Amino acid sequence: MAPTDETGRFARLLGLPGLDEGALARLRAARVHVVGGGEVAGPALLALAQAGVGTLYLDDGEDATLADGRTWLCTPEQAGQPRALAVREALRAVSALTTVRLHATGVRPSATLVCSESQGTATMAAERARTTGIPHVVVLATSDGGDVVTVPVGAPCVRCASRPGAGAQARGGVAAAMGSLGALELLLLLTGLVPRGAGRRVELKDGRFEATATERRPGCDCAVVY
Amino acid sequence: MAESTALVIGAGSLGGPAALVMAGAGVGRLLLADGAITGPADLSAQPALAEADVGRPRAAALAGRVARLFPEVACEAVEAPRAPGLLAALVARADVVVHASADAEVAFAANDAALAAGKPLVHGGVIALSAQVLSVVPGQTGCLRCLFEGPPPGGPAPGQEAPILGPLAGLAGSLMGQEAVRLLSGLAATYGGRLLTYGARAGQGRLVPVRRRPGCPACGAGGAAPSEPPGSPPAAPGAA
Repeated sequence: MAPTDETGRFARLLGLPGLDEGALARLRAARVHVVGGGEVAGPALLALAQAGVGTLYLDDGEDATLADGRTWLCTPEQAGQPRALAVREALRAVSALTTVRLHATGVRPSATLVCSESQGTATMAAERARTTGIPHVVVLATSDGGDVVTVPVGAPCVRCASRPGAGAQARGGVAAAMGSLGALELLLLLTGLVPRGAGRRVELKDGRFEATATERRPGCDCAVVY
Repeated sequence: MAESTALVIGAGSLGGPAALVMAGAGVGRLLLADGAITGPADLSAQPALAEADVGRPRAAALAGRVARLFPEVACEAVEAPRAPGLLAALVARADVVVHASADAEVAFAANDAALAAGKPLVHGGVIALSAQVLSVVPGQTGCLRCLFEGPPPGGPAPGQEAPILGPLAGLAGSLMGQEAVRLLSGLAATYGGRLLTYGARAGQGRLVPVRRRPGCPACGAGGAAPSEPPGSPPAAPGAA
């Protein structure tokens, strides 16, 4: 069986309750802008490619380092190269079904996943997605967990839903877990396995997970910008 | 950490991320046990596998990928883990055991073997849109048999692949790898004696206390772990 045989490849997804061929088609049609290319973004990118997302736009300006094996995508031989190129090479080996491109001005993503290690960059990327009118998921990872905020079109923005960053950046298993959670939340949204209009924040802290519906902060203009 | 050895039972959607996290944290040696051959369905949920791996033994494919990303980590693929007595031998070489297979009988065999050897165990499971993680610390926490006593009747056959969403397995597998790293570092396990269950649709987790059950044949006071049945698994598993 050829690796690109979609029936065998996605058999485990199609066994999920509520996930049908229509949901797979939506994933194939999705064009996802992924901001970041580090330890949080790497597992997320792999998950999106493996789930059959049609197009990924890589948005990462860093060079790969010897420590970037922890992205699960970059080998030590690629240290010094633009990390986005190393990531693209690895993702192309994972799935020929996904088109992997470098993000550039003018591309038209249908969704955004923000995995930046800087909260400022994350907020800016989320705002760009919101004002463009596309759904987005923002991973705000810290050393012991963090938040993943899902913002469907029209839902409270990430500024309403997030709290001030709490300390050191996520590394290792925590970073990978948060990246995976970000990809999970985006896939749930794209496939329609969760209600499309509702925003939520999933928090991981001290090993505990908790989801809360997001609420618009009084005075925030995110309700009227579109 | 570089002197530590971790045994990962199952090289599928949980074992892959767990192994990658441990390798990234500097665990010196990984024993990767899995008897399956990489199939197309693995490509939707195992982050260490690529299209070129289809048809290769899954343990070897995972070991190869880990070695390319982390050349300083020694990876040993165990591709015929059903050999009698092999599970106990592998557990004896390990400082921590990570159970990441989808086979409930293997889960209990791993539980018993780890407790018999006095080794900590990190257990994980994922099916459909829910995932579980539990750490078992010998002499301190309850174990799988304290929770369930034994494998459920009529469970999935070895090799049968349950429906899953890849990043949910990535989430659970990453947490499992992180647990193993904490245990190897001498830190308290986040899920020691408490079972995490996470439901992706609701985004909610629950922590269920797992106390030592008096009379538990694996970890209860005065109890002895059931011996490994001759000729039966350590099998590694179908896909998790």
